[in-house]
Amino acid sequence: MGNFSILLVEDRVTIIENIKGFFSENETRPTLYSATNTIDAWSMLEGFSKLNPIPKILLIDVNRTKEEGILLLNTIRNHPDLKSILVFVITDAAQETNKAAVLKLNIAGYIPTSFQSQELYYCFSVLNDYWNMIEF
Amino acid sequence: MNQKLVNILLVEDDEVDVMNVKRAFSKNNIMNPLFVAGNGIEALEMLENQIIPLPKIIILDINMPKMNGIEFLKIMREKEKLKNISVFVMTTSNEDTDKINAYNLNVAGYILKPLSFEKFLTSVATLKNFWQLCEM
Repeated sequence: MGNFSILLVEDRVTIIENIKGFFSENETRPTLYSATNTIDAWSMLEGFSKLNPIPKILLIDVNRTKEEGILLLNTIRNHPDLKSILVFVITDAAQETNKAAVLKLNIAGYIPTSFQSQELYYCFSVLNDYWNMIEF
Repeated sequence: MNQKLVNILLVEDDEVDVMNVKRAFSKNNIMNPLFVAGNGIEALEMLENQIIPLPKIIILDINMPKMNGIEFLKIMREKEKLKNISVFVMTTSNEDTDKINAYNLNVAGYILKPLSFEKFLTSVATLKNFWQLCEM
């Protein structure tokens, strides 16, 4: 699949570090950017901090970012240059209303996890295999 | 995905490829009900006339007679009942235009068909792991 970059929307430092740690131990190392909130994420996608190239993958927990997260995903889906981003929702809080809302936005995956390091490692192992299989 | 055994629709015109998918499912112990349509028109008829139960997953070929995969996707995404189904493209087409069109129509992944059955088995195993990680 070649090089690709990921934008992680996450406000917990330990989880960001765990995810960075996972990729530092792997042969395929996508570029990982992180934003602690949806405003910073939007700035990195279409604002003053715009990333070039646009990340292929967005990871977000809509149950932490709540309405702002769903609004961000809606905006991405309606933006001509951003709508093709693959969105993966990773969450430890099973709120069915948010789940139903994001599944309507054609996300690539809704992934429940406890964020415990062992489970997170397995989750990213599977995701990494999947990302390395698909074409962009 | 495992618990509910969601229905899967394979849209594929090549009978050998259909057989390969069935064999790969069997070898990977994927027990989900698998339905097959030979092209986009047939798939739409099956979905719209409820000839098959609504699938959560569609595996879609691109190059097919009568209606190709991209044409099928465009129509599917406009239909309220069908637009949220997860679609995984599995094709021999390495054309950038097909990849761009597919991701703009929010497929969950674009997979090039491997040339050997052994590699195809590995790809299907990766897909299985990913499906098991996700809630649908």
